[in-house]
Amino acid sequence: MLNRAQVNYLARESLAGFSRRKLTTGVTILIMASALLVLAVLTLVTLNLGTLLETARGGLDLRVYLRDDLPTERLAELRPRLLALPGVQQVQWIDAEAALAEFRQQLGEDEPLLDLLDRNPLPSSYHVTFTPAARTPDAVRAVRDEVTRWDEVSEILFNQDWVDALERWTFRFQMASLVAGLIVFLAAIFVISNTVKLTIASSARIIQVQKLVGATNAFIRTPFLCEGAVQGLLAGILAMGLLAIAGRVLGRSLGGFVFFSPAQLMGFVMFCVTLGLAGSWAAMRKYLTLRSDI
Amino acid sequence: MATQRPPANPRPGPEAWSSGSTPDGRAIISFHHVDLEYEDQKALADVTFSIANGEFVCLTGPSGAGKSSILRLVAMDAFPTKGQVIVRGMPATRMNRGRVPQLRREIGFVFQDFRLLEDRSVEQNVAFAQLVVGVPHLQILQNVMRVLTQVGLYDKRHRLPRQLSGGEQQRVAIARAMVNSPKILLADEPTGNLDPVTAQEIIDLLFRVNDSGTCVLFSTHDHEIVKTFGQRVLVVDGGRLLSDERRRVPVDRSASLVDHMYRAPAEAAPTAQRPARREPAHA
Repeated sequence: MLNRAQVNYLARESLAGFSRRKLTTGVTILIMASALLVLAVLTLVTLNLGTLLETARGGLDLRVYLRDDLPTERLAELRPRLLALPGVQQVQWIDAEAALAEFRQQLGEDEPLLDLLDRNPLPSSYHVTFTPAARTPDAVRAVRDEVTRWDEVSEILFNQDWVDALERWTFRFQMASLVAGLIVFLAAIFVISNTVKLTIASSARIIQVQKLVGATNAFIRTPFLCEGAVQGLLAGILAMGLLAIAGRVLGRSLGGFVFFSPAQLMGFVMFCVTLGLAGSWAAMRKYLTLRSDI
Repeated sequence: MATQRPPANPRPGPEAWSSGSTPDGRAIISFHHVDLEYEDQKALADVTFSIANGEFVCLTGPSGAGKSSILRLVAMDAFPTKGQVIVRGMPATRMNRGRVPQLRREIGFVFQDFRLLEDRSVEQNVAFAQLVVGVPHLQILQNVMRVLTQVGLYDKRHRLPRQLSGGEQQRVAIARAMVNSPKILLADEPTGNLDPVTAQEIIDLLFRVNDSGTCVLFSTHDHEIVKTFGQRVLVVDGGRLLSDERRRVPVDRSASLVDHMYRAPAEAAPTAQRPARREPAHA
């Protein structure tokens, strides 16, 4: 248990490093803030891509066109069969006349062209939508493959290519983010650890004397860990402050832009504190296992 | 001032000091057939000796002989490759590494290069040794005052180490080593950077430390000091203990180190009378 004099000493030593090593401390904080900023930006982009993907998946549906030579009763029987398929949430009947009216609206000024036709070329169809969990290309593809085999169906449309591409690119970006994040994280640990080693080297004499007079490793380590944690805290506040300003500006100009919640921002700051602690711990661990050079 | 003086503490019989003796119950430090290797390089081979509580022992030998390795083993900064080292009843080979700091609190260290904290005053340097082991603030102030008075530096307590002479810096180092009232003082070439007069003062101070009952293990490669040293002398070379001699009859009672080095024998003799010793400094 530490006494008051020891607590005062540890607090003083933890903060003294900042005034003794202004440049090293400043550089360390900037490096940590940069690393955290890169990680946070990667996470933010991944988050927004995920939201975009969710939106795109919301439009992942099937349009099942039916043969026009079949009686209406038979076509109506398809509705419960479609609803029974896995992941299907809703089935909406769109008859040929309604499809033509919709088409006329889409043509706008060119709508008189349709008068040249002697009959309605559009078939009746079912619009099939899916539950959120089933809005994946694989699930929709499985339903499509099943329905294609039905005699009543003439053609099926769904925006597969777009969703496939989006999903593919999202996956690649997530992987790239993960790898980049990991590299940035390891680089940050390495840089912090080496910066702390420089700090420790400059404090070699005091550590040596502490070991000689019987200070425990925990006592020797504490000021350095505190220094690392405070550096992490300052770096985290700096990085998250900058990101919050940038997020506010982007939020105004980009509709639907997703930003971190205050709790998530706090989480990043805590992560940076952990990073500072880990860097200091790694550096100290190696140093404290060395001989005291008696 | 000679490096010779009557023992202040009861000494064990000579049989306990003979080379090759085994650790015994009275010993505060015991080496029993100790080997030490650093990365395939043998630093010590089959070293056996014991040092009793309160004894003053000179460890000598050329540079690289193994003196520092012996001190390092006593401080448990290194552990024997073979054999056993027992310090204050704690065997090195069975010692939990987490208990080493506890042991170090019972050992004081003095080095050739003083190892003071340059950015702290004399007082802070000494107080630091107490602070890290958790001595209460008021007690630190009292203890620091006491040891600085004993080494004659209380008036200079606010000075930085660079504002002191080499001898004064070494006295600060001794004060720091003694402030925790250690049972053992390890002095590694403490006179190596000092002129003979100052070296003599430091040795005299170490004797006073010993008078308080602290066991002193003093290493030097200086033949002049060893010649005038009237206590037990361990000689190491090539990692082996070559001799373990207890000088019951002083080798050179008539001359101090300074006399020995700077004065002709005829001139030195009248001044060689050792002044009456003060009471033990750290009793």
